[in-house]
Order: sequence, then C-alpha cells, then structure tokens
Amino acid sequence: MIYLDVFLCVLTVICAVAAMVTRKLVAAAILAGVVSLIVSYLFVRMKAPDVAMTEAAIGAALSTVIFLIAIRRTEEEER
Amino acid sequence: MADVILELALVLAGIGVLLASYRLLKGPCPPSRAVALDVLTLITIPLLVGAAVMTGRAIYLDVALVYGLLSFLGVVSLARYFEKGV
Amino acid sequence: MKQVLAILALLVLAFLFAGLVPMASKPGNGAVGDYYATHGIADNRGSNLVTSIVVNYRGLDTLGEVTVLFLSVMGVGFILRRREGTPKYSPVPASPILNTGANLLFGSILLLGAYIFVHGHLTPGGGFQGGSVIASGVLLLILARRDRELSHDLLAWLESLSGFGYALVGLVGLVVAGSFLANKGVLPLGTWNRLFSAGVIPIIYILIGLKVGAELSTLLDIMIREPAPEGGGH
Repeated sequence: MIYLDVFLCVLTVICAVAAMVTRKLVAAAILAGVVSLIVSYLFVRMKAPDVAMTEAAIGAALSTVIFLIAIRRTEEEER
Repeated sequence: MADVILELALVLAGIGVLLASYRLLKGPCPPSRAVALDVLTLITIPLLVGAAVMTGRAIYLDVALVYGLLSFLGVVSLARYFEKGV
Repeated sequence: MKQVLAILALLVLAFLFAGLVPMASKPGNGAVGDYYATHGIADNRGSNLVTSIVVNYRGLDTLGEVTVLFLSVMGVGFILRRREGTPKYSPVPASPILNTGANLLFGSILLLGAYIFVHGHLTPGGGFQGGSVIASGVLLLILARRDRELSHDLLAWLESLSGFGYALVGLVGLVVAGSFLANKGVLPLGTWNRLFSAGVIPIIYILIGLKVGAELSTLLDIMIREPAPEGGGH
C-alpha cells in the first residue's frame, strides 16, 4: 500500500508543476481539479475524514466552475 | 486470502490512474483532458472504498458518496464551457 | 525565467519545512490539545470530536468565519451588479441529456447535503460541507435551465435569518447558562451516538448549513448571469 501512496504523491507534484508551466488557462484549471482530487484521497489515508470531506465538497464542482466563469469573461491564454 | 485480493484490486486501480494521467498530461486539445478528469474521479471512488475496507471504518465511505454524486457536475460544467453555454 | 524562480522558491520552502515533520502528532506537546483529547467526549457527548471543537470550544471563531463569508458575497454582489439598459447574456440552450440528468439528480444532491449537515455531530461533515453540496445542486439547475430565474429575495431572507438565528442561540446561552454560546445548561446533552444529543451543536450546524448553501447559491447566480461586457470578451 505504501507504493501506491508514494506514486500518488509524485503524481500530485507533477500535475501541480504542469498546472504552473502551461500557457492554456483551461488546462491549468483542470489540472488544479486533479490535484484537489488526489489530495482528498491522501487525507483519508492520513486518517482525517473531516478535511477529506471538505476538500471533496468544494473541489469536486465549485472550484473548477468559478475558474471557468472567470476565464469565460476574460482571456483564454496567458500572455 | 481477502487481504491479497484487496491489495490486487488496489494495484489494478493504480494502473488505471497511471493510464488516465498519461492522457491528462499529454492531451493536445482540452476536451481530452476533460475526459481524463472524468475517468480519474471514477477511479478514485473504489480507491476510497478500498481504504475504508482496509482500516475497517465505515465513516470513510461518506467521502466516496460525495464524489459519486458530484463528479458528474464538474464534467458537465466543462462541457457547457466548451459549447459556449456557461 | 519566472517559472524557474518559482520552482526554486518551492524548493527553499520545502527545505525549511522539512524540520517540522518529526514534530507532528506527538501527544504531550501542548496542554490545550491534550485537554481537548481527554475531556472532549465528556463535555459534549458527540461522536465527532472535530465538530465539538469547532462549535463549542472555538465557537466564537466560527461566528467570525460565517461573518467573513457574508462579507465576501456582499462584495461580489456590489461589484457585479447589473445596470439598467445593458443587454442580457443569452447562451446556447442545454441538450435534453443535461435536462434529464438535472431533473433526476437534483433531489438526491439536496438530500445528501441535508444528511451531511444534520448528522454533523455524528459523522464527518458539518455545516460548511453540507452547504457546499447544496450549492452544487443549485449550480446543476442553473447550468441546465438558463431561462428560469432564481428568486434572490428568498435566498436573502434565508441567509439573513440563519445568521440572525446563530447569534440568537448564543444570546440564549448567555441568558440561561451564563456564557455566550454555552453548551452545558441550555439543552440536555443526551446519550452518546444518537441524533438528538450534544446539546446545541446540531441546531447551530443546521443554521450554518442553510446559511452557507444560500450564500454560495447567490454567489454562483450573480457570477453566471452577469451580462456580457461591451466591446470585448466573448
């Protein structure tokens, strides 16, 4: 089981760095959603179900939608 | 015997995460990344249930319930953005 | 260039915080944490220790956090107000798949949100998590049916009455038991692991859940229905 946790931690770091490097804003919003998803699973593995449920309730739908509304009203590429 | 089967199931789910993340990081157009996000949320639900069974606590199942109902919403909002309907 | 600097700053922060890892989760490290761990169940008799800390021991901080949420939604409402004479934003109507899915799922999502904040003192969850799930259900309706309007009056009344009710519960505690937001003398503590137990905690969490759900629904409605900017944008 510890190999799965290590692999997911490495994947989180890779997705976070990719969200920072990319120039397309929609891709950055989707990668931020994936980071929130994996971090919620790691919170359950660290025996903190309250924090995991907060991350799930906010990061599953609301956080991505607010980013997409802001991108719709402004620009789509980072200059 | 049940422990071995549980570990094997979690390893298979980990392989699924690896394949979906390849499409997430490579995908040339944004809808392919949206599909990869959908597959990743669908794999996370059995991962959470597996963590609940391994520690034997039933209160960890509530988090999987929240993801099961709300993952549809994230993908729907992305799709509405792509067809210019947000 | 600035991305290289950002990664370098992250590595410096990781090196600085690496010294904190062996100090985490050691009992006997602080007197306040040990008091909460040993006396929490006896004082409140609710199964969820995190909930009893958030609402009873640190109840005043939770009142401040509810106020901060209210101020942020008020700020967004002032900035993104719709003025008279600007054209309304009319997007592409939704497909029948989305309409059917929204009709099927809306009741289940509301029920899940209500379950999370009513059982806040027994299972992981609470007012803030349940309110966010309810706001996600309202978001599904907003995305699927763009021609119907949300009633802002009803949401404003619900939010204001819930916030007022929270302060009122605190004042009742002051009158009956001697301190603001007290838990011991106001309602019977009851038996462990039942729905009607832990004093005032379920009542406060129901009020917080309704308030947060109404606030986030108002926020999403204001942001989505803002009219298109003139002369630019999409």
